[in-house]
Amino acid sequence: MKWIWFAVKNVLRNRRRSAVTVLIAAVGTAAILVGGGFAQFTYESLREQAVRQSGHLVVAHHDHFDKDEDTPLQYGLEGQQQLAERMVAEPRVRAVLPRLQFSGLISNGDKSAVFVGSGVDAGGEFAVRGPFLHVTAGGVLSPRPAAADVPEIMLGQDLARSLHAGPGSSLTLMATTTEGSLNAQDVRVKGVFSVGVPEVDQRIVMVHLGTAQKLLLTDKVSTLSVYLDQTEDTEAMQASLRSTLPSLAVRTWLDQATFYVAVRELYNRIFGLLGVVLAIMVLFAVSNTLGMAVLERTREIGTLRAMGTLPGQVVRNFALEGLVIGVAGALLGMVAAVTTSVAFDLGDVQMPPPPGSSVGYPLHVNLPPALFVATGVVIVLAAVTAAWVVSRKAARKSIVEALAHV
Amino acid sequence: MTAPTSLLHLHRVAKSYGQGETAVQALRGVDLDVAAGDFVALTGPSGSGKSTLLNLCGLLDRPDGGRILLDGEDTGTLSGRDLALLRRDKLGFVFQGFNLVPVLTARENVEYPLLLAGVAPRERAARTGEMLARVGLGDQSGRRPDQLSGGQRQRVAIARALVTGPRLVLADEPTANLDGGTATQVIDLMHELGRNDGVTFIVATHDARMTSRCDRVVALTDGAMS
Repeated sequence: MKWIWFAVKNVLRNRRRSAVTVLIAAVGTAAILVGGGFAQFTYESLREQAVRQSGHLVVAHHDHFDKDEDTPLQYGLEGQQQLAERMVAEPRVRAVLPRLQFSGLISNGDKSAVFVGSGVDAGGEFAVRGPFLHVTAGGVLSPRPAAADVPEIMLGQDLARSLHAGPGSSLTLMATTTEGSLNAQDVRVKGVFSVGVPEVDQRIVMVHLGTAQKLLLTDKVSTLSVYLDQTEDTEAMQASLRSTLPSLAVRTWLDQATFYVAVRELYNRIFGLLGVVLAIMVLFAVSNTLGMAVLERTREIGTLRAMGTLPGQVVRNFALEGLVIGVAGALLGMVAAVTTSVAFDLGDVQMPPPPGSSVGYPLHVNLPPALFVATGVVIVLAAVTAAWVVSRKAARKSIVEALAHV
Repeated sequence: MTAPTSLLHLHRVAKSYGQGETAVQALRGVDLDVAAGDFVALTGPSGSGKSTLLNLCGLLDRPDGGRILLDGEDTGTLSGRDLALLRRDKLGFVFQGFNLVPVLTARENVEYPLLLAGVAPRERAARTGEMLARVGLGDQSGRRPDQLSGGQRQRVAIARALVTGPRLVLADEPTANLDGGTATQVIDLMHELGRNDGVTFIVATHDARMTSRCDRVVALTDGAMS
């Protein structure tokens, strides 16, 4: 403890110089934390979006993911009701939702457009989608539609605009059945929604699973999406399902989330590089400060060595000074990062829409404890390393020469 | 070769600086025996080799030739680390410019060698307090060097040199930066502490008041004892 106190006193010897160094370390820490925190928020948002969209696990026919279908649902799942019941019985499973992917033409009588559709279980689908499905007009599909009613449909907002359709409009879906013939189905628009990606909003539609099956003349589904209570259980559950359902393919949300993986790789490189640059900046700042201190204290180093201080102890004393500067800078930077994060939230700062998207998103900084620890360790290590490097030579200088230093 | 009664024994010690034609022979085969409890003055004109001899006696430098024995131990065979530990445990230093650590208080400056030696905190506090009281600075222990007079600073330096109970204290012009009255007080203090604690002093000095109070005066001229 005495040695730390000694280091603190030495750091305070030239207050202005030390303050500037601490400030540089603090700015470095805050920048790493804010940048890393923003990346964390982005990762979590994209992960959440990916999980809500695909489910933690996707169960399908073993050829579904790897082969192209010659006819709709060639590699679809049969007996989905029994499969879903078996999986829901697992304690970690929150919900199992069937999905039927299909495509075709949608027409308002005057104009037709290509659509890409999903037949869904409306009762569960909209509960799991949460905020990632933005309804811009009307409402979501009814949980339990009456059999006699005209089937409901939800349209992507750009498709709705193209077809001049809105809630209550009547449209016709046309698609190829599993037998290869053409079938049509009248539908009524229940709502209009956006997923935030214009290319998707121009094509996407959602109907009840029964409507899609009736259109394609099948009782199959494309996939079963398995939602778990904890994302951390995904891999364990995948292994469990693979053993209980060996004839089926089971993939995780990460296998499906190509966008998430691409963004994560890009951000890891950008913010990783930023972190390295800032750590080097701190390294040089502390080197400069302690390098000057070492030079100014050459005679003092000689005196301490004359009294029996070992070169390693001299280096340790300077390393402790680097530690004090690093810790002070890291703590100050952490306070600055938290303040910045709160300011972003209070100011409701919005990021512009990313490439390929039509909606912006709030600028939020996630600051998990692990990020604080990692950043603190990097900054403190940089400061200690700088102190160690600059003091090593001085500590081994001849005592007589050091004592004669003016 | 070893002188059993000597605390410090130098045999034909030589030291030169530089190489080739520019080489300067600072010491030319000096022999010296210092007995425990001696108060020895090293005198001589500037460039006579006083400081070089003091540095060698204090194990701050290694001779080019000859042997130096401290307490019967041949220091020429010791590593740099062993020499540092020997300095820590058996030697004390008093410098002309006091060489106190400016950010530490008088108490902390005196405490430093004990901290280095790994003395327990309670014992450190007791020995530091006692030593400061003996040099008459018991009430100034919380002051930093820049808040003390020259004489007070040299008293702190003397306390720092003696607090570990060294066998030998080496002082380089300890009164050179002090006025007449203060210098006399410092000389008296060194004598009193040396006599009471049985500590051996080797003092490089030009000060006649100092040499007149020493048991022995060793005069150097051109690197040799005259």
